[in-house]
Amino acid sequence: MQSWRRKSVWLALSASWLLLVLLGGFSLLRLALPPRPRPRAPQGWPRWLDADLLQSFSQPGELPEDAAQPPRAPHGGSCNWGSCFDTSKCRGDGLKVFVYPAAGPISETHRKILASIEDSRFHTFSPAGACLLLLLSLDAQTGECSSMPLQWNRGRNHLVLRLHPASCPRTFQLGQAMVAEASPTVDSFRAGFDVALPFLPEAHPLRGGAPGQLRQHSPQRGVALLALEEERGGWRTAGSNSSACPWDGRCEQDPGPGQTQRWEMLPNATFCLISGHRPQAASRFLQALQAGCIPVLLSPRWELPFSEVIDWTKAAIIADERLLLQVLAALQEMSPAQVLALRQQTQFLWDAYFSSVEKVIHTTLEVIQDRIFGTSAHPSLLWNSPPGALLALSTFSTSPQDFPFYHLQQGSRPEGRFSALIWVGASGQPPLKLIQAVAGSQHCAQVCSLPSWSPGIQGMRKISECSCCLLLDRFFPYSTIRTDAILSLDARSSLSTSEVDFAFVVWQSFPERMVGFLTSSHFWDEAHGGWGYTAERTNEFSMVLTMAAFYHRYYHTLFTHSLPKALRTLADEAPTCVDVLMNFLVAAVTKLPPIKVPYGKQRQEAAPLVPGGPDTGPKLQAPDPNCINQIAAAFGHMPLRSSRLRLDPVLFKDPVSVQRKKYRSLEKP
Amino acid sequence: MCASVKYNIRGPALIPRMKTKHRIYYITLFSIVLLGLIATGMFQFWPHSIESSNDWNVEKRSVRDVPVVRLPADSPIPERGDLSCRMHTCFDVYRCGFNPKNKIKVYIYALKKYVDDFGVPVSNTISREYNELLTAISDSDYYTDDISRACLFVPSIDVLNQNTLRIKETAQALAQLSRWDRGTNHLLFNMLPGGPPDYNTALDVPRDRALLAGGGFSTWTYRQGYDVSIPVYSPLSAEVDLPEKGPGPRRYFLLSSQVGLHPEYREDVEALQVKHGESVLVLDKCTNLSEGVLSVRKRCHKHQVFDYPQVLQEATFCVVLRGAQLGQAVLSDVLQAGCVPVVIADSYILPFSEVLDWKRASVVVPEEKMSDVYSILQSIPQRQIEEMQRQARWFWEAYFQSIKAIALATLQIINDRIYPYAAISYEEWNDPPAVKWGSVSNPLFLPLIPPQSQGFTAIVLTYDRVESLFRVITEVSKVPSLSKLLVVWNNQNKNPPEDSLWPKIRVPLKVVRTAENKLSNRFFPYDEIETEAVLAIDDDIIMLTSDELQFGYEVWREFPDRLVGYPGRLHLWDHEMNKWKYESEWTNEVSMVLTGAAFYHKYFNYLYTYKMPGDIKNWVDAHMNCEDIAMNFLVANVTGKAVIKVTPRKKFKCPECTAIDGLSLDQTHMVERSECINKFASVFGTMPLKVVEHRADPVLYKDDFPEKLKSFPNIGSL
Repeated sequence: MQSWRRKSVWLALSASWLLLVLLGGFSLLRLALPPRPRPRAPQGWPRWLDADLLQSFSQPGELPEDAAQPPRAPHGGSCNWGSCFDTSKCRGDGLKVFVYPAAGPISETHRKILASIEDSRFHTFSPAGACLLLLLSLDAQTGECSSMPLQWNRGRNHLVLRLHPASCPRTFQLGQAMVAEASPTVDSFRAGFDVALPFLPEAHPLRGGAPGQLRQHSPQRGVALLALEEERGGWRTAGSNSSACPWDGRCEQDPGPGQTQRWEMLPNATFCLISGHRPQAASRFLQALQAGCIPVLLSPRWELPFSEVIDWTKAAIIADERLLLQVLAALQEMSPAQVLALRQQTQFLWDAYFSSVEKVIHTTLEVIQDRIFGTSAHPSLLWNSPPGALLALSTFSTSPQDFPFYHLQQGSRPEGRFSALIWVGASGQPPLKLIQAVAGSQHCAQVCSLPSWSPGIQGMRKISECSCCLLLDRFFPYSTIRTDAILSLDARSSLSTSEVDFAFVVWQSFPERMVGFLTSSHFWDEAHGGWGYTAERTNEFSMVLTMAAFYHRYYHTLFTHSLPKALRTLADEAPTCVDVLMNFLVAAVTKLPPIKVPYGKQRQEAAPLVPGGPDTGPKLQAPDPNCINQIAAAFGHMPLRSSRLRLDPVLFKDPVSVQRKKYRSLEKP
Repeated sequence: MCASVKYNIRGPALIPRMKTKHRIYYITLFSIVLLGLIATGMFQFWPHSIESSNDWNVEKRSVRDVPVVRLPADSPIPERGDLSCRMHTCFDVYRCGFNPKNKIKVYIYALKKYVDDFGVPVSNTISREYNELLTAISDSDYYTDDISRACLFVPSIDVLNQNTLRIKETAQALAQLSRWDRGTNHLLFNMLPGGPPDYNTALDVPRDRALLAGGGFSTWTYRQGYDVSIPVYSPLSAEVDLPEKGPGPRRYFLLSSQVGLHPEYREDVEALQVKHGESVLVLDKCTNLSEGVLSVRKRCHKHQVFDYPQVLQEATFCVVLRGAQLGQAVLSDVLQAGCVPVVIADSYILPFSEVLDWKRASVVVPEEKMSDVYSILQSIPQRQIEEMQRQARWFWEAYFQSIKAIALATLQIINDRIYPYAAISYEEWNDPPAVKWGSVSNPLFLPLIPPQSQGFTAIVLTYDRVESLFRVITEVSKVPSLSKLLVVWNNQNKNPPEDSLWPKIRVPLKVVRTAENKLSNRFFPYDEIETEAVLAIDDDIIMLTSDELQFGYEVWREFPDRLVGYPGRLHLWDHEMNKWKYESEWTNEVSMVLTGAAFYHKYFNYLYTYKMPGDIKNWVDAHMNCEDIAMNFLVANVTGKAVIKVTPRKKFKCPECTAIDGLSLDQTHMVERSECINKFASVFGTMPLKVVEHRADPVLYKDDFPEKLKSFPNIGSL
């Protein structure tokens, strides 16, 4: 028994020793033998033993204290914004532009450009009050090159606008004048001072302009991957079918050369290869934009248009021509997400800044205004996402959340309350029933009226005063309106609280659109060769009446500050036009139709639409085709879009207990 | 008590009747063995100091031991910098050509000590910061030690501070680098350029075509698109830990903290203080500090002593004036404090201005407007100020905080120039993380109503219900806008019926056979889909009228970035169970639509198949359920928008379904669907579904209007 025990103890002991020797021996062996040469790890920058003892590159106090010099004068002739532009003149009301009148007879183009500048909100007739003096230098053919103007003053605060490159020889020293010209070479361009314009073809439309060619978001199947510019103005596509490649994750072989096709003017391909050497290629660049063909610029020697504000990396690929093969390979492998984004951006930029001469000129002025504004300029987001900086005014706000367009990008939401703005008109009788219905909504923050209430009604909850009382001022950006949403009403509108509530909830999903109850639609009148519109009930609509509609407060600012004077006077003279004008404006911004929500049945045939009521103010009953045609002419195109749907509550008129429904009174007979 | 007794009895029993001598002997032996074992074990598993450190090959050396290179007085000097250099003229891009990962390769020359003919060193061998910088590059993905593969070369000659080096000799040292070749593709880092008396704004060392990453460029010396403007690193960044201070109004409106201002400027800022009183604070060097107090860390106003840089956190705006050099380290301190820099230095190129949007984080005021600074700043709305404060701090954290951040941002900028199609976007450079998380960038952001003429492609997923399938095909083919019909035959054991048996319809009909019976096959981006609009439809959906489908397509055209479907469903938060619940009852809200019949953009098929997060796709295929919920999640997550439910349709009644006992099946069904929602929400890390209270009906739906005049009279029932 004992020996067994002893044996087992010894056994355990020796086993442990063995283990010890084995393990320890291995370790010792590993220490003793040099390691086998392993695959060489990259030899990095050495870790110095005395790294901590190294001196810093700058010793505190080492900096010279009295060496600062007085500001230096700019180097010979070169200018930058700070040294050559005097912003003190622009202090009062921002950018005011004076245009030198042309001496002698001028061409039609010249006249139209002048008109479009005069229409803009920047224009002034007095050279003394202007902070920017604009010198048009347009057509060389007519030989009307401008001579040195009167207020030249070494070119200070001058902008020389050259729409077509080298149209005029430099007849005088530019001095401190800024130059806005088409595709300036990179070397002569003074960044932050000059403005790079697009290279416009002679026949570029002055106003409105052709919309982008893109009809669908993603490239069509079977469309060529690449289009190359041809010597004589056309495009040549090469290697079709390969654009299909990224969409299903597997690639076919390029069908090889020979499959080339000739196209007339606009390229039909996913990418357009544009050489960077000749500035003429810049006109191809614009073609590609319009066609929704992603420009691939090979080492451009010219400055891209409005590069100061437009982030071209979102719409084009600017690559090194020497790496052409790698670029082509990269294009083939580009992810669908990237292709989608680039394509859409080309279209947005074309529509927002390039499709007409007027847009190009307004963009130029907007760029200069942004420089003057400094911190209150457009943030980059406003320039580079729809609807673009010409339609998102930085005078309204510089915070993207305040606009109706950027909630997604900002991760924000429109405010949960609205202000009702009731236009009472001359009769002055406050519509008590309507006020009660509107103020009864849980989302209602305030009720204002134009003109202000008679004192008797002041006691009601949520009622505050808004000043001003002219009809035109209906769309004035009143500072008393503090909410994002405005419910525009008319004394004769009749709404229930349910309707208001539901319409507002819908508006919150579509804050950039107008959400209305009553609609009308436009149509092309073959007989008269013009546009017409009707308030009759049809299967589709393209406008909502502002006598009962929700929209974003921003549209008041846009209406008042961005519309040309001519249009606002038109609306002033023919008040039926105001509705149409507002709808045009919103549609031009959103490029989408408005939204219709259900409107109580019994009233639909009642008051508002019946002509000749007791106090018929100016209404839409007698649509005036003149109005819509004039507005369309001023816009240069027809922005209105038609919709065939109405947004109803989820259980609207469903055969289910009314107790389950949230918006019950919407369905009451 | 009990246990201890037991133990006492057992103890002696283990080694019984042994003599005390023996016992001691055994115990010692055991302990030695045990100790040995423990020690060996420790040795085995302890992180080995010798082996585990990566630089097994790197011998530990001192900077003082680096090889010495003697530069003859007549060795060549490079040309002065060429101001007209651009990437396409002076940079040899072929050296970067062959990299498949779109990442440039950077080589660092070995450290040498350069001396002139008399043995006098040319400069300090290397500064702490430059050593950090080279270490950061060496540790990054850009680094290569193979000189023949490198696209960019970084000399180890330290030119961070021009005042610590001899210009001519340093230039000679550069020129003798093995791959110098007129400086092509060489990158020099310099933070403090120029020297007395006129302080050039770029490094004075002749450097030919070398790129310069410089702090303090002016518009006259900066080669746009070629050089990189970098910050002047502030050593205080590493020394002082300033916790982030929330945005909002602070004690001082405007603060000037720089010492060594030019007297003219000092007069100007002091005039501001006189004019605006308490809200402006102008600090200067302290004159009467006691011994041992670091003067760098103190600032004084009259006799008041302030801690620097802590005092910067007390101000909303901080002045950054030019000194002898345009670039000032104080900019970094100011950003760190979340104070909005007011940069008054004409023609100064702000750090990383090629990619950073400084309008969002700073105010630039021309020098001649200095007297107006206060009113300019006051015109900025409070909300914008707060955004700027946040942005300032974020810029510091991302691009100023350390030498490493500066080095990597510089290389990234150069990398983006060479591989523009793989470049980092404006948003990635500029949006602080909080904005990046909250924002959604809709892949179909362009407002566009696709032309009706394009039509849609119907995709019918089927297994073997041929009869019902044929009925669906016949019904769907009546829809005017249908342009193609695709049948996805998901049954591998059975062949689809012969061509002659299929219904004859007016549009092309294609049958695709799948390799495996998976639900995900319905969302595969088939080559055959030529239209943008896709109608996914089950092989038993025969109750939808032609008007209903056509109307659905019309609605999709107005909302091409959304899922447009018929029966709507809702997700709800179950407060008792603390999780999501699937709801199909009569509700006033919708957050999902069933894809038994739904229109959507074909791009979502690509996303579903290739970009679905996590293991959702496998989960769906394994459970043979919830592919529609997954699609709803995907679309809502990527677009940030809600679904559109069209028409009153509430369920898809199919003849087969009614036959089965509804209730219990329904119960398990609901549980399963709820489980899916919870699973997907956890994979997405958020609940992307959006709840809305509306559905789309035709304009005149249920209006008192002659039916025959309505576009879509037959909109169907529930």
